[in-house]
Amino acid sequence: MRPVAITGLGTLGPGVTGGRAALARYLAAPASMIGAESRTARLPERLVGPSLADLVDETEARRLSRVCQLTLAAARLALADARLGPGADLGVVVGTEFGDLHATAAFADGYLAGGVPGLSALLFPSTVMNTMAATTTIAVGARELSLTVNAPTVAGELAVARAAHEVAAGRLDAVLAGGVDQLDDLLIESLAALGAGHEARGEGATFVVLEAREAARARGAAILGEVQGVAWRALPARPHGVGRHARSRAIAAALEAAAAAAPAVGWVYGSASGDVARDAWEANVLDTALGPGVPRTSLAAWLGRHSGVGALGVAAAAWTAGHGRLAGVGAVRPGPGLVHALARGGSHVALVVAPGDEEEAWP
Amino acid sequence: MRRVAVTGLGAVSPFGAGVKVYWDGVRAGLCAIRPLTLIDTAGFRARLAAEVPGGVAGSGRRGRADRLAFAAAREALQDAGLTPADRAAAALVVGAVGGGMLEAETWYWDRRRGSVAPLRAILPCAHAETLGARLGIEGPRETVVTACSSGAAALALAADLVADGTVEVALAGGVDAITRICFMGFNALRLLDPAPCRPFDRDRRGMSIGEGAGFVVLEPAERARARGASVHAELAGYGTTTDAFHVTAPHPDGEGMARAMARALECARVAPGAVGYVNAHGTATPQNDRIEARALQAVFGEGRLLVSSTKSMIGHTMAAAGGLEAVATVLALVHGVVPPTIHLETPDPEVAFDCVPNVAREHGIEYALSNSFGFGGHNVSLLFRRA
Repeated sequence: MRPVAITGLGTLGPGVTGGRAALARYLAAPASMIGAESRTARLPERLVGPSLADLVDETEARRLSRVCQLTLAAARLALADARLGPGADLGVVVGTEFGDLHATAAFADGYLAGGVPGLSALLFPSTVMNTMAATTTIAVGARELSLTVNAPTVAGELAVARAAHEVAAGRLDAVLAGGVDQLDDLLIESLAALGAGHEARGEGATFVVLEAREAARARGAAILGEVQGVAWRALPARPHGVGRHARSRAIAAALEAAAAAAPAVGWVYGSASGDVARDAWEANVLDTALGPGVPRTSLAAWLGRHSGVGALGVAAAAWTAGHGRLAGVGAVRPGPGLVHALARGGSHVALVVAPGDEEEAWP
Repeated sequence: MRRVAVTGLGAVSPFGAGVKVYWDGVRAGLCAIRPLTLIDTAGFRARLAAEVPGGVAGSGRRGRADRLAFAAAREALQDAGLTPADRAAAALVVGAVGGGMLEAETWYWDRRRGSVAPLRAILPCAHAETLGARLGIEGPRETVVTACSSGAAALALAADLVADGTVEVALAGGVDAITRICFMGFNALRLLDPAPCRPFDRDRRGMSIGEGAGFVVLEPAERARARGASVHAELAGYGTTTDAFHVTAPHPDGEGMARAMARALECARVAPGAVGYVNAHGTATPQNDRIEARALQAVFGEGRLLVSSTKSMIGHTMAAAGGLEAVATVLALVHGVVPPTIHLETPDPEVAFDCVPNVAREHGIEYALSNSFGFGGHNVSLLFRRA
């Protein structure tokens, strides 16, 4: 397996938009973007403004749905951050929980309001979750593997883990990997009806650029961090349920892939989001795997849970590995740490992230 | 990298439940495309589809697609003869598009009156959650969405995990139930034939949609031999590429399709001349079949290859297509019988291959390829070798 480098970051969401510099600023003093009443963190409805004009042009803004615009903007930010041009040798792996649910509802509404003549052939492709990956590959000319992974709450971490696995195995040389989700009123209403409780939800998109480390060094890329080991597994649980098993095969396998033992993990970016029962389960899993007392934090606590924030946690971990500071916690031991996410239903993901070229890479 | 064996097959098709029923229908060249009953088709130009007949077994509390997936996955696991410990550590990779949309649509159509329970299963990942919980599978779990190539992509990703030693066993496949959104969408795009579809026919007018589930069990060939498992075939290679061209149209030269096929051959270190049969994507849209034939010609040259589309019998089962067609391709190798393309009366002169019109053909094959291409330019080719 080849070492995997993180060479670029692009993110767009409440609280942090931009590349590595924007993330470093945010992590130094993270602020909550979650509304006290709504328990959501949302972006403006219309995304294209002066700051994004060079990321999504007017034609794209007119033709692409909002969630596709989010995806494309983050992808372009990440490529620019990596100083990597668009190109055929790229792969794209997108994690999403809800896809373009807004387009699906709009397509159905067209029929319900106008019958057969009310159906939109233009909207139909957006009802399939691969629409964000498809429009992004077209815009950036990526012709290798393009993949959309769907999972409850952990899709962003899962997308990065799968992409890192493909790079490590030599099947991809460079890949845009990350996640995206958007909130809309129907989704918020549905989540509330399903009893989402105090879980904080957010929206946005994040991509990291992953490359084979030696190839990245050869082209002179500044390496933000390394993904040393990844694994994804399932803990026993009913669908949507919270389980009791706390022995994580994912963490063990990720550590094994990284040739590391649990004591090497100095800190954790977890997935706590205010879902009390799920958060307690994850805490138990982490305590069982790493022992109590390992400092941990969760970006979802400030930005809300969504697939973009899952991928953002991987980039944040690279910053922490190099700087010895854990967002919202303070000083921690520099060096390898863990990104971990656990969903209701049992899907969980673990990534061991180590420092890159911290002197040159981070501002 | 380890060689990957197929040791379990499972299918729920428009011919009914079970691999035997599926193969009997395919081999006999039967047509399962009939008037659609699951949803209201009034006012639509095309009103046919290939539904899974009868009541789909399983608890009514589960969505239709969940039940299709469960039946096919359970059959594949039983066929492979895995132990509970094997299952617990197995990877589960599911290709899905519609998720529990059929039930969620009912909720939405009623203007959101009634129970919100269907929303819990609306997402494609619901199938993997259900399968994992009910079948005791705790290895790597993924749901992949690459439109109509989702099922094939699931097999390719699962094969990766087996080949590189991440897992010893993987259960992979695709599933989709017919939904209103899918039926209405393809009608809106005017891609559905009002009559049963006619892949590779000069007068073809579009596709017929279908539903079902197809799953396989993959494991290292050496391990399969060591435990005395019945090996149906070897998944010798696979290729995944992207067109980066258009959201709904394939690249006009079939460049991405050809690259996926060439990758599969390269992965298996097999020359094009060794392949005897291609189970084509073969949707019967004028554009797809013409471009796929062009891509096949670029990879294999003209003439010798047998090419057929099982969609002529069971329709386009969306995310299930890659799984069901992989099962058909494996069975073609096992039985030495190439499935036919039915409703093929006037071969398209632009298709330079023998498309096995209307009657299955006995033909010994060493290697067979299964193609799946999806909206968004997702191309997947799976190359199987006879065991």
